Amino acid sequence: MISEKKNWPITILLIICMIIFILIPLYMVVIIAIKDPSDMIHVLSFPKELRLQNFVDAWVKTDYPVKFINTAIITIITLIFTLPLNSFTAYAIVRSQDKSKFFKFIYYYFLSAMFIPFSVIMLPLVIQASNFNLDNIWGISFLYIIFGLPMNCFLYSGAIKNLPLSLEEAAMIDGASILKTFWSIVFPLLKPMSATVAILSFMWTWNDFTMPLVLLTEESQQTLQLAQYVFKSQFSVDYNLAFASYTMVLLPILIVYIFAQKYIIASVSAGSVKG
Amino acid sequence: MGTKKVSPIFYIIVIIMAICFFIFHTIPFMQGIFYSFTNWKGYGSWDFVGLNNYLQLFKDPDILGAYSFTFIFAIITTILVNVLSLVIACALNAKIHFNGFLKAVYFLPYMLGNLMIGFIFNYIFANIVPQIGKNLGIEALSVNILGTENAMWGIIFVTVWASCAFNTLIYTAGLKSISSDIYEAAAIDGAIGIKRFSNITFPLLATSFTINVVLSVKGFLMVYDQIMAMTNGGPGMETTSIAVLIYKRGFTGGQFAYQSANAVILFVIVATISILQLRFLEKREAKYND
Amino acid sequence: MNKKWLLSGILVLSVGLLAGCSESSSGNELELFSTKPENVAILETIANEFNALNPEYTINVVAPADAATVLKTRMAKNDMPDILAMGGDSYFTEVQSADMLIDLSNEPYISNLHVSYLYMVYNRNANKEVVVYGVPYATNASGVIYNRDIFARAGIEIPTTWDEFVSVIEILDAQDINPFIFTYKDGWTILPPWNSMAPVIQPNNFMNDRLADKTTFLGTHEEVLEKMITLMDFAQEDFMGMSYDDGNKAFATGAGAMMINGNWAINQIMAANPDINLGMFPFPTSNIASENKLTSGVDVLLAVTDGDDEIENVAKKFIEFAVSNEIATKYIEEQFAFSAVKGVEQTNPIVSDISDDVIKGNVENFPDHYYPNGLDLAAVLSGFAMNYVSGMDDDSNISATLSDLDAKYDAINVK
Repeated sequence: MISEKKNWPITILLIICMIIFILIPLYMVVIIAIKDPSDMIHVLSFPKELRLQNFVDAWVKTDYPVKFINTAIITIITLIFTLPLNSFTAYAIVRSQDKSKFFKFIYYYFLSAMFIPFSVIMLPLVIQASNFNLDNIWGISFLYIIFGLPMNCFLYSGAIKNLPLSLEEAAMIDGASILKTFWSIVFPLLKPMSATVAILSFMWTWNDFTMPLVLLTEESQQTLQLAQYVFKSQFSVDYNLAFASYTMVLLPILIVYIFAQKYIIASVSAGSVKG
Repeated sequence: MGTKKVSPIFYIIVIIMAICFFIFHTIPFMQGIFYSFTNWKGYGSWDFVGLNNYLQLFKDPDILGAYSFTFIFAIITTILVNVLSLVIACALNAKIHFNGFLKAVYFLPYMLGNLMIGFIFNYIFANIVPQIGKNLGIEALSVNILGTENAMWGIIFVTVWASCAFNTLIYTAGLKSISSDIYEAAAIDGAIGIKRFSNITFPLLATSFTINVVLSVKGFLMVYDQIMAMTNGGPGMETTSIAVLIYKRGFTGGQFAYQSANAVILFVIVATISILQLRFLEKREAKYND
Repeated sequence: MNKKWLLSGILVLSVGLLAGCSESSSGNELELFSTKPENVAILETIANEFNALNPEYTINVVAPADAATVLKTRMAKNDMPDILAMGGDSYFTEVQSADMLIDLSNEPYISNLHVSYLYMVYNRNANKEVVVYGVPYATNASGVIYNRDIFARAGIEIPTTWDEFVSVIEILDAQDINPFIFTYKDGWTILPPWNSMAPVIQPNNFMNDRLADKTTFLGTHEEVLEKMITLMDFAQEDFMGMSYDDGNKAFATGAGAMMINGNWAINQIMAANPDINLGMFPFPTSNIASENKLTSGVDVLLAVTDGDDEIENVAKKFIEFAVSNEIATKYIEEQFAFSAVKGVEQTNPIVSDISDDVIKGNVENFPDHYYPNGLDLAAVLSGFAMNYVSGMDDDSNISATLSDLDAKYDAINVK
């Protein structure tokens, strides 16, 4: 029998490491964001007085509402289409690759693309995207959906291989179409993996810098990450302002995370094991 | 087994996706390869130069420097990330208090994004660590590590910090899937502690290990964001990775074609290493699964 | 039903894409693209004044993050901004060599510009042709920025020779004042001392000889590096770890007496402390005072891209407006810069010690503007500084650095 006694030493060790390596850096970001520049001698001390003006200034200087909406649109569109399209593509490949060499070829085709450094396709992609008028938030969302294929096919196909065929076969015998079978039986079973893919895609699109930099050249189309660059140049001397702005970029992620944390962890875990 | 025929809807969707992918990913990639045989600067006219760019690569001290930095960085970081993640995962998997909360916080760094993490640690290395180092009288810590020949370790620290979260999670998931029956049986056979870990736990983590190692190596060989946010490749060429070099020289240094050749080589290397790893690790997995 | 769902999804996606096709900017909006984040505010002011006078047109100023990359991608997709405000550097050469700029030689205001600066821009044309593709607008000066209050307190004068410079440094050091704030975490800030010393120290005709492979940096530039080592001996602690931004801030609060950098740093320093009493003097490389020259180049030039005739004309009109005495004065006042327009003089006391040199033309262009594009001098020098800090023997460091520079020069010069 393994005893049910809880292990305090390990708990304490984990808490200490957590405070030093994770909570203190995050605390620092927030504390700098609410300080006045004159109050920076002891960086980690509590502010003498709360200064929320930093947030107001950062809000104005980065044009936060517009950038937030752009980033949110890109992220949401990407998620909505990535999940069904990429999972169905993976499903089609897995269920057909034993019968047709074509699907096997496509699988390896997508897989090998995972190793292509973005820098080699960057400039030709810019030209290609502008030929197709994709250099805007709608176009970049489309590209995220397409570019996510290799990784997502890889993840989904692992999960699909582990699904029992019997359920699908039973549904087919009942006369359900492939799409119906997929949508009502397979897709729900893939939920854990879909959650993994959703989080990976969310993190990718929300945090990406390079692709928006080269594709979204119009100011009105730009994303939150791009907007942070003003603090590297124009308003470079003001760390408090910069950290207020970083806080506002991180905040939506943190909010999503706090509310969905249990679900995210459970599903990433479940998804990765099946993969 | 089902019919031998593949449903047309499978063909339709897969072909549509493959065509889109071909147009926006493969064609640009092939153009990149094509231009690596020219002297194109990214605009204007160009001429074929044959294999010149590739031959030049092997003579260029900056390229060789970038490759050696990248390989050393990728190896050290992969080892550190996987060892640390495994340790944290085992700790989190132990019977601890506040399990859910601790797990949630340890996964948090994954959510933040490399650019933001880079900016934040840039500040920490420049302003906070030196103060602590001075107060404690540790000479090595009292300067900004990113300005010294140890800058690589600063980048490694931040990369490990950011990457451990995801890898830890995958390991904890793997650990969870090991049923307690196995451990009980092992305990009867006298396998506990380190012995239990090396004989039972680690082999059973084979799948998680494969995912983590392959993705780590691939990601670290293409390391880019953190370096641009923190050292911009400096001091000197100390932290210039291959991807940073391609970007800096190819985009702002007017060597687009030449750096495309470099990128093609990078692709070949990353793909080869990943495939070899997959082969090797899958064999190992298969062995343990029997 | 589900089939429909999926297919309609794809349909919506493609419709969304088509709808997303942004209509190209309407006929009377122009884009002014600046590669310098430091001058966005003043360019916006100028553009707004122009817009007020010409209500039928609107000029929008953009200065994106990582402007060099953005400009490159926009060149690649042939979607150039209408007006460019950029440095007289290798990026200008790239744009010019791509035949994207129009000839402005016949504009009426060209005769009102200093010829020396026009030639600096001609020299940046790919084939060095004497055609105005870029109108020199503001010029910069690189030298030594100093804190006048600290100099006064220490009882020292501006040095005009190298020996005087060294004794000034030693006096400051003896009084426990940091002679220098160096910001070598940002590699490009190691360039100014090199740029100031190299033209004075290198042999005559070095640039052409080097290009023709008749000489090397090794054997000609040792003195530059030796003097850089002398300077580093007196720099603040951990100067390799200090970024340009942090350094400007530290300097603004009096943490050091001097910075070796250009006039572009002045408004950054003033932003951190508007009351600081700054001055600037030419870098005293040589012991013969008359040999020392101010390093000055074209900081901002204005160029018009090839496109619609009507837009081109508005763009030309804008440049004419910008180079008018009143506006050009406004620009240099805000930027602590100098003007390429005749009769527009910088009168700010901060730069009074160097404005004479500028007016008399006692200036030398940045030598790294003559090195082949792609030679990363900053990285080489940053490696040199790092070797110095980590205790490498000075002689071997100097020869290793210069050999490295020669090797990289040759690697690029071949192609």
